[in-house]
Amino acid sequence: MLALSITNGLVIGIIYALTALGVSLVVGIMNVINFAHGEFYILAGYFSYLFAHTMGLDPVVAMVLSIAAVFLIGIVVEYTLIRPTYGDDLYSLILTFILSIVMQSTFLLVFGPFPNKPPNWVKGATNVFGLFLYGNQRLAALIAGAAVIALFFAMLKLTWFGRMIRATSQDREMAELNGINTRRLNMLSFGMGCALAAAAGVILSPVFPVTPSAGVPVALTAFVCVVLGGMGSMWGCVAGGLVLGLVENLGAAFVSTGYKHVFMYLILILVLLIRPSGLFGRSET
Amino acid sequence: MDVALLQGRGLSKRFGGVQALEEVDFEVQAGTIVGLIGPNGAGKTTLFNIVAGTFPPSSGVVLFGGRTITGMPAFRICRQGIARTFQVTRPFGEMTCLENVAVAAVNRHPGCPKEQWMTLARESLAAVGLEALKDTAAKHLNVVQKKRLEIARSLATEPTLLMLDEVLGGLNTQEIQEAIGFIRRLRDDRGLTVFWIEHVMGAIMQATEKVIVLDQGRVLTVGPPREVVADERVIHAYLGD
Amino acid sequence: MDMRMTKNRWLLAAGLVAFALLPWGLGVYHQHIMIVSLFYVMMAASWNLLAGYTGQVSFGHAAFAGIGAYASGILAAKAGVNPWVGVAAGTLLAAIFGFLVGILCLKLGGIYLSLTTLGFSEILHIIINNEYEITRGTMGLQVPGLLSEYSKLAYFYIFLAGALLTLGVVYRLIHSDLGLNFRAVQNDERAAASLGVDVVKVRVLAFTVSSALAGMAGALYGHYLLLITPQIPSLDQQFLVLSMTVIGGMGSFVGPVIGAFGLEILSEYIRAYGEYHVLAFGLVALAVARFAPRGMVGIFRSVWERRRQAAVHPSLPAESP
Repeated sequence: MLALSITNGLVIGIIYALTALGVSLVVGIMNVINFAHGEFYILAGYFSYLFAHTMGLDPVVAMVLSIAAVFLIGIVVEYTLIRPTYGDDLYSLILTFILSIVMQSTFLLVFGPFPNKPPNWVKGATNVFGLFLYGNQRLAALIAGAAVIALFFAMLKLTWFGRMIRATSQDREMAELNGINTRRLNMLSFGMGCALAAAAGVILSPVFPVTPSAGVPVALTAFVCVVLGGMGSMWGCVAGGLVLGLVENLGAAFVSTGYKHVFMYLILILVLLIRPSGLFGRSET
Repeated sequence: MDVALLQGRGLSKRFGGVQALEEVDFEVQAGTIVGLIGPNGAGKTTLFNIVAGTFPPSSGVVLFGGRTITGMPAFRICRQGIARTFQVTRPFGEMTCLENVAVAAVNRHPGCPKEQWMTLARESLAAVGLEALKDTAAKHLNVVQKKRLEIARSLATEPTLLMLDEVLGGLNTQEIQEAIGFIRRLRDDRGLTVFWIEHVMGAIMQATEKVIVLDQGRVLTVGPPREVVADERVIHAYLGD
Repeated sequence: MDMRMTKNRWLLAAGLVAFALLPWGLGVYHQHIMIVSLFYVMMAASWNLLAGYTGQVSFGHAAFAGIGAYASGILAAKAGVNPWVGVAAGTLLAAIFGFLVGILCLKLGGIYLSLTTLGFSEILHIIINNEYEITRGTMGLQVPGLLSEYSKLAYFYIFLAGALLTLGVVYRLIHSDLGLNFRAVQNDERAAASLGVDVVKVRVLAFTVSSALAGMAGALYGHYLLLITPQIPSLDQQFLVLSMTVIGGMGSFVGPVIGAFGLEILSEYIRAYGEYHVLAFGLVALAVARFAPRGMVGIFRSVWERRRQAAVHPSLPAESP
């Protein structure tokens, strides 16, 4: 029971971290919270369902295509909706919230209220350490999630784009003075934030099928992760995701299943009360 | 000699990896006009922000009238009698000029009858010569008018210490002379103490009794304006290597 | 000037009387639409107090209405408390929760309020669904009405009184000394703080009042519907209130009133063609927030001002009202 809960917590935690990284990236670069983040996750789930099921593509190809499509949509959204609101936090909050509702009702019209699920990539189950049987699809999700996170951090560390991101999220004015084109950077970051949500979506949708409104709890969890880890801190975000995943699954196993999702809000309240800058946040901004 | 109205002791401020201020000590005596100068990035506005409570120093203390105000929130520091203007003006764009000033006045006299603080607001606006524009939205003002509006707002908080952050930018020679006269009268007639960041050196030379020079986050020198501008180190700091 | 003021006042009074008499000439269905519209007037006007006048976005406004509705409904249905006492209790409870959430996150800044209120609304849903023995979950909780005899006409006047009370509170607040502080905080919080405005206190106060008004609206609404479901504190409801305010005109006094009536009446017509009204309003709200952030009121005002300027004197600057 304990080992199973921990494994479940790790799988979910990795996916939480992956989803939250996209939010963290956008907050760090643009100081914008994308309230439609969860809907981009769902959108990617639907895309991979469409590509794999309806068009019969290979699941992995379908996944990559879905992420690319959501990335492009993210860029368009940034260009048309978010860009004109720079410096006005109020309207970026309102616009992304409306966008999330618009996307939800579009999903409902197109796909209906029923769960949709792309095909599994792997079958069967594995006996983990001789303790319990665990679905291969979930293990694959764990590995894929960890791989995408590793890839993202390598990108931050090693590439020119990653350096721009780190410089800008530290000090926007300084970055602008040093000739970083923050407009283009904003656009790419927003697109990449959506792509990270999409990555989480395609990885997890075979395990948890997507429904039109399933993005709301996903986004909320990502927001709690970001606050827990410290706004704009990438490592904090990963740690936050793992903590939440574990707390939720241990809480569900040993305290109450119905209140599984309330635990993370208790954590949120504690963080806001005790350490508002989060686990890894800088105390001054 | 009496205790300085405003004192900083060992003020340091670090932003991420950048040391913006390092062990800065300074004093502003009551009833004087003190200039704060230094090349760009010397930490002048950072020092103002620390005094005004925009953010706390990483270490060190700020004393006002002998009592510590270190780390107090900005609104409380304002209520202690310290007013400041911003280098890049921050008017309430959607509000009229009179409303802009009234915000300061009403918080100076909370719970008092409206006539009382409206009179204060009107007088402050008149003092900077903006009474004709009282019903104009602040976003329609030009840069110079916005700077005047900021001074009017500061005056309506009825401060003992007024901190000015580059209020002469964009003025022509004649306007600069008028502004210097105005600031001197604030001191002479109202007994205000003025702490003043300025790039227009002529104004500093004419108006101040003392000048503090910052360079790379440290105090380079302090003294009467004539001595300071003749100082080799100051010239070197401005001209660079 | 004084003449015009009194004339405007008479016009307003005459309009109100005409509006108050209107339901006598309407059928039950249209009376229902009027009542629901008045509920949305309360919701949108109180949300506007927060978003329009202090620049804070709460995504928990519908949740606070839910707090009011469930508190009052449970007291009446389970403990036999008089519904009017329940409405007062619901309003108070919403105010207390608003105050607590406000002090928890408002010192940290706007984004935290938006995040926390969204979480708050999610917690409320989880609790409602888990405690179905008390709340009846999605089945809905049957509650008694406010009056011993059910009459749409009577409810219309109760809701009219509620809407006028809400608008009165909002009007008094924004035209008081505090209103200056509200607007200063919205325009530039750093400048406001530098002039002695206690930004956190101003925000917490606005949020508490706004939440209390939502609680009252929700409590009244529950006793009108006679069935309280999780639909009241839902995100869809939150979205409708937000859209009404944005489309009507955020930060203007009449904007939310126009938005509430406009969208509620429109949604009844759109509903005939299926459940497209959420999507339709979403797209319109998106376009308005993007291209006309002052909403319908802003559009009317700029057209009117341009026309007046052209008529009076082409080169004179606009005289402010």
